[in-house]
Amino acid sequence: MKDLPQTVFVVDDDDAVRDSLRLLLKSAGIPCEVYASAQDFLSGYDAGQPGCLVLDVRMPGMSGLEMQQELNLRGATLPVIFITGHGDIPMAVEAMQHGAFDFLQKPFRDQELLDRVQRALVRDTENRARLRHTDRIRERLATLSPREREVLDLVTQGKANKMVAGDLGVSQRTVEIHRAHVMQKMEAGSLAELVRMMMAVAPRQ
Amino acid sequence: MRGMAAPTTDVLALLEATFDAVVIMDDRGRISAFNRSAEEMFGYRAADTLGRNVSMLMTSGDRAAHDDHLRRYLAGGEAHILGRGRDVRVRHRDGSEFEVFLSVGRIPNTEPPQFVGFLHDTSLRRKALATLEHERQVNRLYLDLAQVMLVATNRSGAVQLVNQRALRVLRVDATQIIDCNWVDSCVAPDDRGIARNAFRALLMSGSDEPQSSEYHVRASDGEDRFITWRGVSLRDANNVATGVMLSGEDITDQRRAENEAHRALERMNNVSRLATMGEMAAGISHELNQPLAAIANYAQACARLLRLPAPDMPEISGALEQISGQALRAGEIIRRIRSLVRNEDVRRETQDINELIREVHTLLASDARVHDGRLELDLAPALPRVTVDGVQIQQVLMNLVHNAFEAQGTDMIRAEINGTAFEVRIATRPTDAGDVEVSVSDLGPGLAGEVEQRIFEPFFTTKPAGTGLGLAISRSIIKAHDARLGYRANQPRGACFYFVLPAHMESPR
Repeated sequence: MKDLPQTVFVVDDDDAVRDSLRLLLKSAGIPCEVYASAQDFLSGYDAGQPGCLVLDVRMPGMSGLEMQQELNLRGATLPVIFITGHGDIPMAVEAMQHGAFDFLQKPFRDQELLDRVQRALVRDTENRARLRHTDRIRERLATLSPREREVLDLVTQGKANKMVAGDLGVSQRTVEIHRAHVMQKMEAGSLAELVRMMMAVAPRQ
Repeated sequence: MRGMAAPTTDVLALLEATFDAVVIMDDRGRISAFNRSAEEMFGYRAADTLGRNVSMLMTSGDRAAHDDHLRRYLAGGEAHILGRGRDVRVRHRDGSEFEVFLSVGRIPNTEPPQFVGFLHDTSLRRKALATLEHERQVNRLYLDLAQVMLVATNRSGAVQLVNQRALRVLRVDATQIIDCNWVDSCVAPDDRGIARNAFRALLMSGSDEPQSSEYHVRASDGEDRFITWRGVSLRDANNVATGVMLSGEDITDQRRAENEAHRALERMNNVSRLATMGEMAAGISHELNQPLAAIANYAQACARLLRLPAPDMPEISGALEQISGQALRAGEIIRRIRSLVRNEDVRRETQDINELIREVHTLLASDARVHDGRLELDLAPALPRVTVDGVQIQQVLMNLVHNAFEAQGTDMIRAEINGTAFEVRIATRPTDAGDVEVSVSDLGPGLAGEVEQRIFEPFFTTKPAGTGLGLAISRSIIKAHDARLGYRANQPRGACFYFVLPAHMESPR
């Protein structure tokens, strides 16, 4: 499955600021969509769309901060770049604490914005690649039989076939056959690769 | 009996009629006549005194001296008492002593001489004097008890009477100012003209009505006290002014406190004005940042587009138009703020308020969309025109409408309204007086009592990110239009802000 094109989503209630951001991104060859309010964006947004958000901290209705929290709740991983006025530094700090990618004080140099946008897009790609990778591992894990899963758990704990056979009360030969199936289904070339896969899907500390 | 010439019947009748006690004695001091008044005065009957020495009526101290005086006189010496009166102490029959006024004369053509003594009982006069003295003292007490300064002068302005309170304020003794000219000796030099005029006006006024004046007196230590005076003229039986009576209240401290309070208030106003300016500066920088950010973005975008092999010219020219538009917007913001701050440059025009409202409706409607709300107009037709600064009135409306939507904006309130499309309504209507009322009402929670009290105070806000200036500025704009921005509860619920603009006086067409 090939990636969808990345889009920069701009949400700003000020018509001129919003349109100028659109043109700036366009001049740099970056596809973007603009929205006048948080509600407008949220109602049309599908979490599968890759890209990043450029968000005004201070907006009537749902503020940038509230929108960020809403996205967190939805599990959306879009990196968020806040743009702020002079007086909004405390709000920017709060946004960073809630996981914002970066913030910019306006007015700003085009390169400052474009650099941040590029970094945010890279971050999004990485996030998605990681997600896709773990998704695939989980898909493969789902194809294992219960016995195969038991064998996988024990061998990735570093146990030798003989010990696994003893733990499970089966013959060493049987363990070898299960293990070959596990390596095949998980598309793992080595035990080391199998261990890395399991670490990738293990719940984070 | 030699030398005892009895008085004639006529003389006796005269003696009996006299109110004073009369005693006649001969050259040896023996009593030859003792009238009825003398009987009453001394408690003796006349018969018991005749032929006895007059010293029986005297106190022991006087007795010895009396015979000496009499002998010396008869020997050709000087008379101590004859022809003159004096107070002497005498002795009643019961032994008590009292004072009489005694005058003694030698009866003419008597040889050896006879003397007549008139004794006037002064106790009545003394009683009257004592009563008078008592009254004087009571009056004095009244004067001195008074919390006000009391000063009486004669018609030339010399102080005749002054109470303790006045002496304390002036820090002098009575002796230092009695008979001195009031104005010249007690009034502060700068105020003497005022004081003289007030004095003259009092003397000339024919009425008993007190007249008021205010001037400073100068105390002996040089301190000036500010006094508010009430004066009346004193008049004799012929209604001729004989002087003036002044009662004065020292209001120096009160006036000082008032001035202090006034200055404190001014200082506070200055502070809050400065603070308002600071708050506004923050608001201004935010407002200005928007067009500036847009200009920077457009310009930078144009630069980038122009570097491309085939620049998108329509896009670039659109951006350039935006740049100039945003620069003008920034200028407009500055102009607006300046007119707000300086309260000048107000461009008043006679116009239709409904037109003004329709003009901002588009802008306001977008605010409504942001809040998922509905903005309704309820404009009365055929209203009188008003003379206003349209931009300012529109600013006020935008502020009120924005507040109204924000008030209804929270989820809690939405739930309360229970799904009914909530709305903000701008209404105009003619008042009974023929003026134009403009109101902005909402269906939000309205204002709680305490909030209602303070809603127009600068910096008072119920919004987390509010500056607390919107309503304060709106109110000052409306005030500059000779109107008042008011609040009332909306029916059936919510808040209603309103102002009444005076109708423009138009000559009928």
